[in-house]
Amino acid sequence: MTTETQTKDLLSGGTQTTTRRRAAIASYVLLAVFAVVYIVPSLLVINTSLKTLPEFFKDPIGLASSLNFDNFANAWNLANFPRYLLNTAFYTAVATGIFVLSSIFVAFPIARGYFKGSNVLLTLYVIALFLPPALIPQFQLILNLGLFNTRPGYILLFLVNPIGMIILVNYMKSIPRSLDEAAAVDGAGYFRFVWKIILPLIRPAIATVTVLHAIGIWNEIVMPTIYLTSADKYPITRGLIVFEGVYGSDWPGLAAAVLMLIIPMAALFMFMQRYIISGLTAGSVKG
Amino acid sequence: MQVMKKGYLFGTGRRAALPLLLLVPGVFFYLLIAFGPSLATAFYAFTDATGIKGLPINWVGFENFREFLLRGAASRDNLAALQRTLVFAFFVTTIQFSLGLLLAVVLNQKLRGRFFFRTLFFMPVFLGVVIQGLMWKLMLLPRGGPVSEVFSLFGAQSEFLGGPPTQAFIWVIIVQVWANVGITMVIFLAGMQTIPSDLYEAARIDGARGWQLFRNVTWPLLTPAINTNFLLNVIGSLQAWQLFLVLTGYKPGTQVLGYLIFAEGFGQAGGASSFRQGFAAAASIVLFILVLILGMVANYIVARREKKYMA
Repeated sequence: MTTETQTKDLLSGGTQTTTRRRAAIASYVLLAVFAVVYIVPSLLVINTSLKTLPEFFKDPIGLASSLNFDNFANAWNLANFPRYLLNTAFYTAVATGIFVLSSIFVAFPIARGYFKGSNVLLTLYVIALFLPPALIPQFQLILNLGLFNTRPGYILLFLVNPIGMIILVNYMKSIPRSLDEAAAVDGAGYFRFVWKIILPLIRPAIATVTVLHAIGIWNEIVMPTIYLTSADKYPITRGLIVFEGVYGSDWPGLAAAVLMLIIPMAALFMFMQRYIISGLTAGSVKG
Repeated sequence: MQVMKKGYLFGTGRRAALPLLLLVPGVFFYLLIAFGPSLATAFYAFTDATGIKGLPINWVGFENFREFLLRGAASRDNLAALQRTLVFAFFVTTIQFSLGLLLAVVLNQKLRGRFFFRTLFFMPVFLGVVIQGLMWKLMLLPRGGPVSEVFSLFGAQSEFLGGPPTQAFIWVIIVQVWANVGITMVIFLAGMQTIPSDLYEAARIDGARGWQLFRNVTWPLLTPAINTNFLLNVIGSLQAWQLFLVLTGYKPGTQVLGYLIFAEGFGQAGGASSFRQGFAAAASIVLFILVLILGMVANYIVARREKKYMA
């Protein structure tokens, strides 16, 4: 609200201030109700993770009687957590790295229209969003390449992200062409130009695309269910589901496992949400 | 050979081929694992492909489609899944769109703590389906869980996810909206922030208040964000099924098409002939046609709105 409207409110007397105050109160009530629905599940997980199993069975929602961290130690060891976390981190880092690097060199010539058919190529990425799910042929491909249940095969599945490509192209279009000319006059080669000059300029877009892509891999559950059969290759999501299958009624243990995953994600979220939000809204609010 | 257009400044002849060379890996990955397989779905839909390596793949014509649509009890289940997909998409789209808009309108005011609330509602997007699902399984524990306790205040009792299919289905819709309304809200908020504040000033001077401001300023000027959200919600909810995987499993009476494709194709549907990938591919084509038709309808609605407000 600008000071101008505030003065206007004062001038137009009390009624409008009352309506505005009422609107504010209604807003807070609504937000409070929603906040409960969003906070309670997390609090429940924290509370449950601190209970012993008998305590949980006696009263699933009562407050934990003491701070009992055994569940965390158990989940850490029983669920093979360190292994799964390492796998997830490995898949996420390698696939995201390859994807982002290879995409920069696809997006830049498209954004500049450097070659014939660059528009056709961009269209190819756009229509991918509407095509039928590629699940079955993808599986046949990985199977026939002999990459089923292998780490390279699993990583291969995550080297593409049409939305990420579109974000990169759109951002690069905002980089002035005069830079190309200046660099060419200075005698820079193409690779050096993209690497040394373009890359630093598109850092925000790279951050957005990296975070979006990485979250997708980190949280993926369908692909590991299909492609990875040996437990030593499982990512953490698959590990959690298997843990749930085995220790299904041990909710304190499960809650501890879930919490150990939430904490790093929540911390990361606080730092990264700016980039995710800018990525999700990129191009979606302009005409 | 002239490979690059005139505007390319970094060398000529063989040196000019470098950008194309560097472009190859990215495009290759894309064609190999996304675009190619998407198109190939149409081929596999007409075969009896299995997931077993070395087994021959035979052409079976329209057999998979006939089975999906026309064959007795099994096709009744398939058609029920198709219908359920539509019901799921309808409710998720409607609720998520309206709630997202409501939250955005509320959080677009200069309220104290609005960033906290925005972060809070957006959080589940970051956590992913497995954590979302496990959290709500715990919330929906039939004996002594928080939701069950609230129910018992009203003398009601429910098995929630383990109960009758319709009930379980409703809970998945609720969790789906809970998990994704943050995206819708954020897109609306971004749209609202592009509306110049002097337009509100002008409308206020003309005597517009509250609802009128929303109806005559926000709603028309929010058109791009409304379009994006509408299309994203329709297409996204038709294809969503992963929360079912975590929350209910492949439970009869709750299956949607996306889950049916996965279950039939990868041996989760049970029965002797698991890994029916030809059939799953045919189901993928059915889902694709559904998305295409409804996507076009949504696009038509959006285009009409645009004509009305952006002319």
